[in-house]
Amino acid sequence: MRNLKPVLKSLFIPALLLFGACTCEKEVVAPPPPPPPPPPVAPLGDVFYEFDRSDLSTAAQDQLKTNATWMSSNAGRNVIVEGHCDERGTNEYNLALGERRAASAKDYMVSLGAEAARLKTVSYGEERPFDPGHDEAAWAQNRRAHFVAE
Amino acid sequence: MRSLSLSLSGVLIFFLCFMAIPCVTKAEEAKEYIAIRKQAAGRIALVLDKTAARGGKESEWARSLDAIMFGGLDFTGLFNLQSAPLNIRDAKDTGGAMINFPVLTSVGVEIYAGGSVSKKSGLVQLEMSVYDAFGSKLLLKKLYTGKETQLRSIGHAFCADLIELLTGRRSVFGTGIVFVSNRSGFKEIYQCDFDGENITQLTSSRSISLTPSFSPDGQFLAYTDYTSGRPDLYIRRTLDGKTVAVRKSGVSIDPGWRGGTNECATTLSFEGDQEIYLIRSDGMISRRVTFSKGIDVSPSFSPDGSKMAFVSQRNGMPQIFVQDMSSGAVRRLTFSGNYNTQPSWSPKGDKIAYSTWQKNGEINIFTINADGTDLRQLTSGVKDNEAPSWSPDGSMIVFTSNRQGRKKLFVMNADGTNQRRLLQMEGDQQQPSWSLYR
Repeated sequence: MRNLKPVLKSLFIPALLLFGACTCEKEVVAPPPPPPPPPPVAPLGDVFYEFDRSDLSTAAQDQLKTNATWMSSNAGRNVIVEGHCDERGTNEYNLALGERRAASAKDYMVSLGAEAARLKTVSYGEERPFDPGHDEAAWAQNRRAHFVAE
Repeated sequence: MRSLSLSLSGVLIFFLCFMAIPCVTKAEEAKEYIAIRKQAAGRIALVLDKTAARGGKESEWARSLDAIMFGGLDFTGLFNLQSAPLNIRDAKDTGGAMINFPVLTSVGVEIYAGGSVSKKSGLVQLEMSVYDAFGSKLLLKKLYTGKETQLRSIGHAFCADLIELLTGRRSVFGTGIVFVSNRSGFKEIYQCDFDGENITQLTSSRSISLTPSFSPDGQFLAYTDYTSGRPDLYIRRTLDGKTVAVRKSGVSIDPGWRGGTNECATTLSFEGDQEIYLIRSDGMISRRVTFSKGIDVSPSFSPDGSKMAFVSQRNGMPQIFVQDMSSGAVRRLTFSGNYNTQPSWSPKGDKIAYSTWQKNGEINIFTINADGTDLRQLTSGVKDNEAPSWSPDGSMIVFTSNRQGRKKLFVMNADGTNQRRLLQMEGDQQQPSWSLYR
């Protein structure tokens, strides 16, 4: 028993030091489980129009279905639909045409179940072109309904 | 805005001053002259003699007045301006007051105008005489008085009298043009004098301001503006700048004033379709005017306000239609071309100017009689020419053209001749509207 005491002593001190060292470390907390990933929703996308037209192509209708889905998945957000025209023709008529484009896009989305109260339209006519060019490639880019989430 | 009302009142006071000063107009001779002119169309051969003056200050005024009057008369496109021949004064007349009319008529001069300037009670006094060179008859003798800072108004007052005397109608002098420019980086509304001088900025919304139009009496300015995030109609009282906004959902596009009333018409879409409504100057909707599916825009009224020309898409592509304001009956005016917009009814009431987007890609200005006859093309071969607006006297048309690159304001005689740039200004200028205020 007498022989055991120094052995215990020599074991006790390092053990105490080890314990102290371990308690100095910050407590390690396991990370919370990641939230379940949101269901995949494509973002809002713009739709494009033929020259002097405000009716919707099949491609435009497909995009508007996607946009309507986005609205139902983002119930707290309102959306502005901007109607745009290319630079050809005259400004005043294009202001009216831009509004008909925005309205046709909105009406179609409402027919798919989107809330009309969350969709505002504004026409910019030919005042805010996306592509500053003066050829058909630019004009095709500028005949659009542009969607902005608020 | 303040400067606008000040300049308006200044012009008014100025013209009132002249009315109080006695003048001699030989009415019979003038009538006879107008009758002869009607038979022989073309420019009037006119000698504008150098204004006589005694003294250094007076000579300076004379030089300025000569330049102002020459520039003003030249601007109208009515005259073939000639300098006075050296032997214009009769050598036998020692006073130098006698004009040698045979010398003038021998070089084809029809009208002689000249006078003198002097200083009286600190004011500028311009005395002008106008003679019919063939009959050596005095047609007009009149005194114009004003401050030294008003030389431009003094010179133009004589120009206005001369043209009224020779043509029997009022002139462009004293009128102004409102238009849109993006000079500041934003589309704002500006105005200038009839000849492009005295450019003043009227809006500073730093948004998009479009399609300005003064009421026929000059009391109100209507325009479209995006300050709220949407194109709304604004009506501003020129006297004090008090502005009302017509905030309806949807758009407001391109207001046009109805003569004989305090109402303008504009396109609104709050009921779903783009239709034309009459709006009172206090911003209240008076009544709806059009009832057809599709776009109806750009109202322009006959001078008496009884008929409205406008653009409608009711048949597919945009065409000009005319609606009777009391019966509501509508007839199509334009049948040539697939894209006809921007009608402007002439102040005489006989013609409507408009723009056609042609198959060759150009936009050009045409006139057509209000009954649909006598279609005439006024511009061609120089890119896009659009947004015509008649001068209040019906002698000229202001329009937008990109013939030199960017969109700039141009003027031409009502028959399409004498096309030239109106003003030098940075950026694009467009949507001019020529207004009457005196």
